[in-house]
Amino acid sequence: MRRRVRNALLLGGVGALALAAGLWFAAPDRGELSSDRLFALELPDTAGVKQPLKQWRGKILVVNFWATWCEPCREEMPEFARAQSELGPRGVQFVGIAVDQADKVGRFAKEINLNYPALVGGYEAMELSRSVGNELVALPFTIVIDRNGRIADTHLGPMKPQQLRSILDKML
Amino acid sequence: MDRLPTSTGLLPKRQPRDGRALPALAAALLLVALSAFSQGNPLPAEKAFRFSARLLDAHTVEARFFIAEGYYLYRDRVHFAVEPAGAGLSVPPLPGGQVKEDQFFGRVETYRGDVVVKLTLNDAKPGQQVVIEAQSQGCADIGLCYPPTVQRVTLALPEASVVPQTSGDGGKKPWLN
Repeated sequence: MRRRVRNALLLGGVGALALAAGLWFAAPDRGELSSDRLFALELPDTAGVKQPLKQWRGKILVVNFWATWCEPCREEMPEFARAQSELGPRGVQFVGIAVDQADKVGRFAKEINLNYPALVGGYEAMELSRSVGNELVALPFTIVIDRNGRIADTHLGPMKPQQLRSILDKML
Repeated sequence: MDRLPTSTGLLPKRQPRDGRALPALAAALLLVALSAFSQGNPLPAEKAFRFSARLLDAHTVEARFFIAEGYYLYRDRVHFAVEPAGAGLSVPPLPGGQVKEDQFFGRVETYRGDVVVKLTLNDAKPGQQVVIEAQSQGCADIGLCYPPTVQRVTLALPEASVVPQTSGDGGKKPWLN
């Protein structure tokens, strides 16, 4: 085989492999993830008032699992608050579920003037995040649910603002 | 011969060598793909912050965290316990960690690499089996934090007349399974 053709095939083959590997890790299989358990949740807010998640059905719901003991979680929240201000009128609703103590959650929410609900969850909330794809049970973990109640995206780790906006823009 | 401008003057233009460049580029692409396999997946807590314990003598336990590269533990969230509690565990002041200013919690200390703590079992009986329980909480540099994780190691204390043996890792039970 001519050297150039061989090299082109080799390069093409490896390129395809690299692309496949990238796609494999970028796109979790969300086919069977159901939002039912999430909407069945009722968690107290920082004032101790129980809030059912189902009150937000029909919104473009962004559920963010976080904790005050998770520094990367705290760092991305101001951006979520900005997005809530801007996109709230268009049907987007952020909800934070903190795996934490209510008083610490309340203190931090006040400090950053949080403009979306901060609910307090425990072990059950972490287990729930596992059931929708958070295998490592780590934070931050963000779920985006469309207006029809379907899970549109899940993300482990901090979300870059452009990443979040591009997911939401598609749904507005 | 064509000459390309460079900061140090003009260099002669080289002819491309097909034979070497393209397979090398292909190999580089393959390496990138393979590293995506490993770096794309963060470790579970029990692997990132692996706990192990062994007996140094009838009353002393060497407890050790092997913290993977790219991960760290919070010093003030490391706790030890023993079962049965009657074995009388004492924990010395923990080694100092790296100081970090946390915007919410203020001054915190973190551990990286290996952390060793010598625990004492004041009332352990010869031939007794004890379980050393270590709780820890840490994060990954890539921007993840794990909830508090409990790992357990079972140790068999030597019989009275026997020279103490070192034991390996016992069963590990993560806090969240």
